[in-house]
Amino acid sequence: MYRYDEFDETLVRERAKQFRGQVERRLKGELKEENFKPLRLQNGVYLQLHAYMFRIAIPYGQLSSKKMRQLAMIADKYDKGYGHFTTRQNIQFNWIKLAEIPDALEDLADVEMHAIQTSGNCIRNVTSDHLAGAAFDELEDPRPWCEIIRQWSTFHPEFSSLPRKFKIAVTAATPDRAAVKVHDIGLLMKKNAAGETGFEVLVGGGLGRTPYIGLTIRDWVSKQDLLSYLEANMRVYNRHGRRDNKYKARIKILVNELGEAEYRRQVEEEFANQNAWEKVVLPQEEVDRITAYFAPPKFETLAAKSAALDAAIAADRHFARWTKNNLRAHKIPGYTAVHIALKPQGVAPGDASSAQMRVAADIAEKYGFDDIRVAHEQDLVVPHVKLDDVPAVYAALKAADMHASNAGLGSDLIACPGLDYCNLSNARSISVANEIQALFADPDFEDEVGTLHINISGCINACGHHHVGHIGILGVDKKGEEFYQILFGGRADEKATIGEIQGPGLRHEEVAPALKRVISRYMELRASKTEKLADTMDRLGQAPFKEALYASA
Amino acid sequence: MSSERPKLGPDIPKVITGWLSASGRVVYLTKDRSWSEDLADAEVLSGPGALEVLAWASKDQTRATDPYFMQVTPDGKVAGRETIRETIRAKGPTNHPMFGKQAGNN
Repeated sequence: MYRYDEFDETLVRERAKQFRGQVERRLKGELKEENFKPLRLQNGVYLQLHAYMFRIAIPYGQLSSKKMRQLAMIADKYDKGYGHFTTRQNIQFNWIKLAEIPDALEDLADVEMHAIQTSGNCIRNVTSDHLAGAAFDELEDPRPWCEIIRQWSTFHPEFSSLPRKFKIAVTAATPDRAAVKVHDIGLLMKKNAAGETGFEVLVGGGLGRTPYIGLTIRDWVSKQDLLSYLEANMRVYNRHGRRDNKYKARIKILVNELGEAEYRRQVEEEFANQNAWEKVVLPQEEVDRITAYFAPPKFETLAAKSAALDAAIAADRHFARWTKNNLRAHKIPGYTAVHIALKPQGVAPGDASSAQMRVAADIAEKYGFDDIRVAHEQDLVVPHVKLDDVPAVYAALKAADMHASNAGLGSDLIACPGLDYCNLSNARSISVANEIQALFADPDFEDEVGTLHINISGCINACGHHHVGHIGILGVDKKGEEFYQILFGGRADEKATIGEIQGPGLRHEEVAPALKRVISRYMELRASKTEKLADTMDRLGQAPFKEALYASA
Repeated sequence: MSSERPKLGPDIPKVITGWLSASGRVVYLTKDRSWSEDLADAEVLSGPGALEVLAWASKDQTRATDPYFMQVTPDGKVAGRETIRETIRAKGPTNHPMFGKQAGNN
């Protein structure tokens, strides 16, 4: 994990001190809210329905046990004993007092954390594959490049006042677990014809009001040229991005208005015309220095199978189900990645109590090389666990009610906070999510349904990624009533597709029964148990499912 | 992306609501120009004079932030197309009955 140097630490501490002064001036009346708002947003502070909300950056979703425990402490000391992990791999606290946020920032600085790049029209927290460094299917670990982009983009003066927020994701694996095709810029590490590793650069993806799949603007750019090429993209965006209309200000609108070819031409021209002194050329020793922070842990040489694990699986069907659904293949024999689904029945997706955070920290420290990841699906992952230790990890999770065995299944849904918390939302998300989870209360039925991604957003801003769920749900306001539009056919992986709205919205209480009918129809029609809903829809079209959706609505 | 609230005509009964600047708690403007956490204490406004009260409230930034009109019935109960939102603001999140004003611990 990247470690701060003395300059990083000084900067983060000075930033906390600076914000303390700004808060004091605000509360004395020396700063008006309109002047203070941009300052608080740059420190991750929003004003939501019930209170201030404080969003903390977790770069590329990676935490140590020490950092996780500090988040738990912040949940207890300043909030209500829980936090909410987000689709940007960050965490947010919903009940914090403005006057106490400077103290929380200082506590974060103690563990090399902050709230920089969590709000405002800047390059936001860079996200990545939650299995980075562990995945058997990755080309190489993408985290050093996430960190390099983070350092390049943080406080870069040209990116401090972009037309709108800007989101970058990096992955080095297929399948794509980082949803790179629905980011402002998605970077997919790949080899060129000469066998050199570089990046495919996708630009103009995004969700929200106007969803787009990113377009490949460069099939391959070298590591050496990456930052200069990104900078060329940012300059074209800064030059032409709409500042007169926030609904048209994202780069996806620019790319689509200019057209792919013209956008590419302008970026290539900008890239070619950069002066030599403008090029952001990273010295190899600097790349090596950063990469060293992400060196693999000291894995043991182990057998590919664990007799202890196999025996435990044979003895406990609940454990067997959990291992089937929540373990991910690891690149090192004898190891696995453990997916901790924060989606037990009836809980807000992504919420974790301080006690649960400490359990995750303890597990990572004892069994997982002190490494925890936040997945954009609002779950946690301990990426390096010995197969022999899996029964003990499960026992610890079970004791903390963190053993939901639904990773990647129907009840492991993505949901934004919705109208229960969010000042922008039109409709509740969490209560709909909980009613849908209840459809899968029978684990055998949920297993029988298999992989299914259901994503819910409480408004068009799409924080719940509804466009790219196999089933997407969008909450809308209709003359003061909550209605929910249903989308089919979305996906966020390497075959990323925007789902299609099926028709009139459903009332809150109609959503779960309607989805039950759709799922029943899917099980009748799928070619095999491994065919995902999105694939069945590709094969048969959406009509049979739409018919089921509205069958008795 | 928009947190703008619906425009309310002068004849619609309304109260002024916002958030305490220091804590973020939801509050309502009372007749004596203080801010109460209890909707029952709010002054129900109507007529063109309400705009002047809102203008005053907007300047009271040390105490309260982002005040706006919220529709109510003539006797001060939440009403109108934002009933769900404002009921949640007044009581707390529906998924977390242990939090918010409904639990007395906001």
